[in-house]
Amino acid sequence: MNVIETKNLTKVYHDGKTETVALKDASFSIKKGEFVAIMGPSGSGKSTLLHVLGLLDIPSSGSYIFDGRDIGSFSQDELADIRNEKIGFVFQAFNLLPRTTVLENVKLPLVYSKVPESEWDSIARKAVESVGLGARMGHEPSELSGGEKQRVAIARALVNNPQIIFADEPTGNLDSKSGKNVMQIIQKLNEEQGKTVILITHETSTAEHAERVIHLMDGAIDSDKRVENRLTPDDEYLK
Amino acid sequence: MNFKHSLKTATTGLTTNKSRSFLTILGIVIGITAIIMVMSLGNGAQNLILAQIQGLGSRSIAIVPGRQINGPSDVAASFYNNSLKSRDLEALQKKINVPTLANATPILTTSETGFYKDQTYRLTLYGMSPEAQEIFDVTTEQGNFFTAEDVRGLAKVAVIGSKTKTELFGDADPIGKRIKIKNHTFVVVGVIGEKGQSAFINFDQSVAIPYSTMQQFILGIKYFNRIIAQADDSKNIDRTVNDIAATLRANHNITDTEKDDFTIETQVDLADRITVITDAFTFFLLAVAAISLIVGGVGIMNIMLVSVTERTREIGLRKAIGAKDKDIMFQFLLEAVTLTGVGGVIGIFLGSLFSYIISILIVRFSGLAWQFSFPYSAAIIGIVVSASIGLIFGLYPARQASKKSPMEALRYE
Repeated sequence: MNVIETKNLTKVYHDGKTETVALKDASFSIKKGEFVAIMGPSGSGKSTLLHVLGLLDIPSSGSYIFDGRDIGSFSQDELADIRNEKIGFVFQAFNLLPRTTVLENVKLPLVYSKVPESEWDSIARKAVESVGLGARMGHEPSELSGGEKQRVAIARALVNNPQIIFADEPTGNLDSKSGKNVMQIIQKLNEEQGKTVILITHETSTAEHAERVIHLMDGAIDSDKRVENRLTPDDEYLK
Repeated sequence: MNFKHSLKTATTGLTTNKSRSFLTILGIVIGITAIIMVMSLGNGAQNLILAQIQGLGSRSIAIVPGRQINGPSDVAASFYNNSLKSRDLEALQKKINVPTLANATPILTTSETGFYKDQTYRLTLYGMSPEAQEIFDVTTEQGNFFTAEDVRGLAKVAVIGSKTKTELFGDADPIGKRIKIKNHTFVVVGVIGEKGQSAFINFDQSVAIPYSTMQQFILGIKYFNRIIAQADDSKNIDRTVNDIAATLRANHNITDTEKDDFTIETQVDLADRITVITDAFTFFLLAVAAISLIVGGVGIMNIMLVSVTERTREIGLRKAIGAKDKDIMFQFLLEAVTLTGVGGVIGIFLGSLFSYIISILIVRFSGLAWQFSFPYSAAIIGIVVSASIGLIFGLYPARQASKKSPMEALRYE
């Protein structure tokens, strides 16, 4: 079953008189439970594609079927609900709220959900524990290392039990060791919990965690192929 | 998004930048403080004046010569200040004319200097009749008030107030002593106990003499400055006023009530007029205070706009994880309202405190019977106004925040 299906997805930005085609006729589908990496040099349209797929931005033309529903017919509020219930985001810059504890940061998506408040605490605690930060629950982001911050962000992405996780350069701001650790967690989410993962990266080594790599060039799909020597979470190099 | 969580978010946002939050609400604090003080002190002044008027008694009716000025054509009428004469008083005192009249006294006033031996005292000289005792509720501490006989005989007798007594006689017994006023010698027959200011007559600093004596020897006039009458019951005020008016019109051959050459004022009229004046004054001061609130509101808007820009990333993140436009709008509105609401509460506290201190100072240094009262209505208005300012001036920044695109917001560095 396809969780994502696009046809001729195009995004054009207008900035005054100039017109920039950031995404051009992208057609592909992603199956439920798949781990896909999107690669390409900067300016190739990776981020635009992620924004459109993550329902943060609306395509200029083409169709996008998300989880069996055509998103073209949805209002902003309905899109917000889908983002809240079905999508988890992990960003390069972590985007944690400053002066807010790890637990409160992870709770944030629940605040906008239909989950009753009495359950927020236990759900968020479980999510924080699942990324191995149970002891850091009451710390603020400024007291955490980069790798820990990104793990908090992953816990936040997981707290609403989404179907699909969008990770935008999740290791971009991390040293290689914490980067590998973060990728390990993401891969485990895919393999053990069956989450669909869409990863944006420009590092080949990071992309090798995925089972499929889509290459973008100048806004268009350049190649779309399976990863042959895929890394597993227990691979030697990760240790 | 639930309210409790929003409030927590709002207070966190405000406490992280304490000094900025404080400076931002300073305008609101000052505005609300001013409003509370104006309303509290305005109330105090009004109550003080009304209490003095009521000191005259609710049964009292003042008859003054001339017409109340209601337009340019009445200005000339206000000069007819000699329309109240002895025959008017006599007519009013006839039961057949005004059956509900209990007492009436003419009043003549002038400022004079009293002499006793080498002592002098600048005093207020009143001409009145013995009925004044009833009307103004005064009693003699020593000696007696002058009598109707004294009035008829143009007797040169005087009843003095407590302050006049100490100024002219010190501790000595003044009864039977002679004081000189405008080259006439008066025998002191009574002393009125300390009474304080009561409805524009301060007996303490005065000397009261028979009105006829005052007309003949001091002022050389045939008319009265006013007549103070008293109804037998406060329920009969309206009837008494009507009977007085009818009697005076008959006496003065007036058929057109528009051409009355006298004005009748009851305590209720007077109280109403004073209330209108003090209310107008209070309103004017409130308008001035309101300007400071508007200035404060603009400051709030300015800072909220800065805050929205600073927190673009936070807004973007919240939207990415499911916040709707209305959630973001609500969050920032609540923040603005919390900010101004806190300012309002501080303002109410400071305004009340300052009003209280001022009332203590007034009592200590002026001796007026000023009473502090916590202005509950002003406090409620203060809370409502300050919260509304947050709502009004927070609306635009909150809208700006809610309109940010989640993607733009995440890209913002």
